[in-house]
Amino acid sequence: MKIAGQKESKIDPTLAEEIRQRCGENVFLCYQCKKCASGCPTRPFMESTPTELMRYLQLGMIDEAMKKDTIWYCLSCQTCSARCPQNIDIAHVVDAVKIIVQEKNIKVDTGNAKLFNRLWMTLLKYMGRMYEMGLTGMLNLFSGKPFKDLPLGIKLIKKGKLKLLPTIKRPFEMMKMFSRARDLKK
Amino acid sequence: MKLSYYPGCSLHSTGAEYDASTRKVCEKLGIELVEIEDWVCCGSTPAHQCDELMSIALPAKNMALAREQSGLGEICAPCASCYSRLKFAQERLTDDHLRRQVEHVIDARYPDDIKVLHMLEVISEKVGADAVKEKVVKTLDSIKVACYYGCLITRPPKVTAREDFENPTDMEALIEALGAETVDWNMKTFCCGAAFALTRTEVVVDLTGKILADAHAVGADVIAVGCPLCHVNLDTRQQQINEKLGTNFNIPIFYFTQLMGLAMGIGPKDLGIHKHITEAESFLKERALI
Ligand code: SF4
Ligand code: SF4
Repeated sequence: MKIAGQKESKIDPTLAEEIRQRCGENVFLCYQCKKCASGCPTRPFMESTPTELMRYLQLGMIDEAMKKDTIWYCLSCQTCSARCPQNIDIAHVVDAVKIIVQEKNIKVDTGNAKLFNRLWMTLLKYMGRMYEMGLTGMLNLFSGKPFKDLPLGIKLIKKGKLKLLPTIKRPFEMMKMFSRARDLKK
Repeated sequence: MKLSYYPGCSLHSTGAEYDASTRKVCEKLGIELVEIEDWVCCGSTPAHQCDELMSIALPAKNMALAREQSGLGEICAPCASCYSRLKFAQERLTDDHLRRQVEHVIDARYPDDIKVLHMLEVISEKVGADAVKEKVVKTLDSIKVACYYGCLITRPPKVTAREDFENPTDMEALIEALGAETVDWNMKTFCCGAAFALTRTEVVVDLTGKILADAHAVGADVIAVGCPLCHVNLDTRQQQINEKLGTNFNIPIFYFTQLMGLAMGIGPKDLGIHKHITEAESFLKERALI
């Protein structure tokens, strides 16, 4: 398909069906009323709006849906899902697209979200609970900003709000849960 | 009244004062909280944006633990994100295929008859503003409060079963029962940027800046919250916001349970007021509340 003034778009006609299978939402219900885009708190930061994302998914415009930074500015604030007159859970659709991008390892700038998610899930798998110090430290290290928010971190430690050592709960059960889930997904 | 208690990771770290004040207030109100033993993280936002199955299995695991350990029918979750993940899991687990998968992952039966309540719901629905009023020993009539709900206490309605999700008022009723004045404002359900607290700080500064500006514009002295992530963002980023926007915000951010505790005569230390980054103790002294 070609939009005036733009290069040819790649079309994947199975895209909408893949979204439906992953999250149960039917993107064809969207009639482009723009209510989701108008209430979205991070729309000014996005390359395209949530409404446009729905259109890309309807048309199977896979690169526009997957490679723009739109989904990576979604905060899962649920405003769009709460307001959609067609009762589409747009935030759930966004999650489905995010998961496809991460699973297929599509090269896009996720604003460190992919790294953040991976660190979080790994800590969880072995510790059962979140270890904020470890998470923040590793995130800053791996994203090349080792001193980000350091003064604030020190203040929080002084106030006893960040624990230096992790709390570990049910590590073996958690590892088994993660591996059973992985097997199911295969 | 006896409820299972799921504090979640934040209440054991950055939201320690929410945990402390919740426990103290419940004690005063005769609510017994039975913490789920060795609960695990609900997965929060990272789980639902990278692993759909685990994002449902983790909350289900905690509900199964609650049922096995205490047999209680209700779980109180003070963190808006934990609350939302538990409620989302319940909504999705009405699908039999997914339920079977999740039961296989957690190797336990998923109890489908548990009621999940946010701490605000526990107080407003199960106790009521009138009963709270009877416990007030020190009226908070010297402060003006902006009640901030954020996203997940009220949204999405298919999960929270709330009709008033655009303009909730139960926190106002509660805060007014403490003698304080509440304000009418625009940003009570606007997102604070929680999910980006560590990754896209510039977005957080932008969004929290808007929230603080609106509270300031309508003359609120303090903001009351019911979520540890909202608290961190609003409480810790004010200096950065001032630097960026050239403003002069210095608005103390309290958990609604801390305000309740103060009015009920619980000491500020016990409520963890000293743990805030935006100075709250001197403000309360100034208003003769401590
Ligand atoms: S609010 Fe719903 S129907 Fe309207 S544009 Fe967004 S997704 Fe489409
Ligand atoms: S859930 Fe995401 S897309 Fe929807 S309004 Fe919130 S930030 Fe925007």
